Amino acid sequence: MTSAQDALYSEAAQTYGAAMERLARAYEADADLRRDLVQEIHAALWQSFDGFDGRCSLRTWIYRVAHNVGASHVLRQRRTRGQELVGLEELENLADTNSGQSAADRGHALDRLLGLIQRLKPLDRHVILSYLEGLDAASIGEITGLSAGNVATKIHRIKNMLARQFQQGGSES
Amino acid sequence: MMEVENPVQKIWQDQPVEGIKMSAEIIQKRAAKFERRIMWRNVREYVASLIAAALFGYFFVTAHDVLSRVTFGLFIGAMLWIVVQLHRKGSATSLPRGVDSLTSLRLYRGELERQRAVVRNVWSWYLAPLVPGFVVYTIGYAIKFQRPAAWAGLALMDAIVAGLFVVVWKMNMRAARCLQRMIDDLNAAE
Repeated sequence: MTSAQDALYSEAAQTYGAAMERLARAYEADADLRRDLVQEIHAALWQSFDGFDGRCSLRTWIYRVAHNVGASHVLRQRRTRGQELVGLEELENLADTNSGQSAADRGHALDRLLGLIQRLKPLDRHVILSYLEGLDAASIGEITGLSAGNVATKIHRIKNMLARQFQQGGSES
Repeated sequence: MMEVENPVQKIWQDQPVEGIKMSAEIIQKRAAKFERRIMWRNVREYVASLIAAALFGYFFVTAHDVLSRVTFGLFIGAMLWIVVQLHRKGSATSLPRGVDSLTSLRLYRGELERQRAVVRNVWSWYLAPLVPGFVVYTIGYAIKFQRPAAWAGLALMDAIVAGLFVVVWKMNMRAARCLQRMIDDLNAAE
């Protein structure tokens, strides 16, 4: 382990450790497999810092690595689970699953949110997770490689979908 | 601090986490495990062919007649050709980590397409190179031992070999279909 690699990893783990766990939760529902996935993300991050050249920000690099590990995990699991994934457009058009439950019930809302995210295709999942983490459109574009217009369209769909599913008073633009 | 413009973002960001910490030792173990997985995938591909080439090499050295030497020489050549093709076409690769999601998914799909091409074309790079050895062996021994019993033995051997070729080909076609499903999934997933 080189000292630079070690230092970058320590900074990443300290600053983004919680975000990595939230991200893993969106990629794996099973608690044991999720812990394993978190470890895989940490190991991939540590390994990746050997080749980190500073051409993008540390945050962008961390999210890229974490999302790529998460996407590989989802695609590997699909071979055995056969779960069908959908795009944001399809999810946006799904019937409201809120069933009149209070959005103030945070535990329930979080479960429902995870249920929605875990149905999404990898790229759309990357976008919604980055949005939920509070990243701006430019950062999301940098992490995903999508154009600014494409990111804007997807964020608009995400806001609409969340508004419908969590009764926030309709469409936002 | 992260931006919160939507209450759902707050629900997401406020969720409890376990605070998983990993020691340097565990991280290195996990990283080494991943590298070993890639390395063994490649090693496995070569070992079987090299063992077979070594076995044919032994037969080549200990054979007393020209026909056997030509036959085993052809098999050795075929095995070495297969190893070279495996190295050129089929070596497992690890994908870069720090690229953006779109590039990563495209690279992953490219890797699956490459693997699919290798198994789909198994006839041309794996099975066909073995054919000359069997042909020379069959014709040579049929001329050398001109007896119906010897010919029947050769015909049985060739039928078994042909059967094995079909099994290998079918297994590879099944693998190609499985890879195609994953590629379709990935197309849909992007």
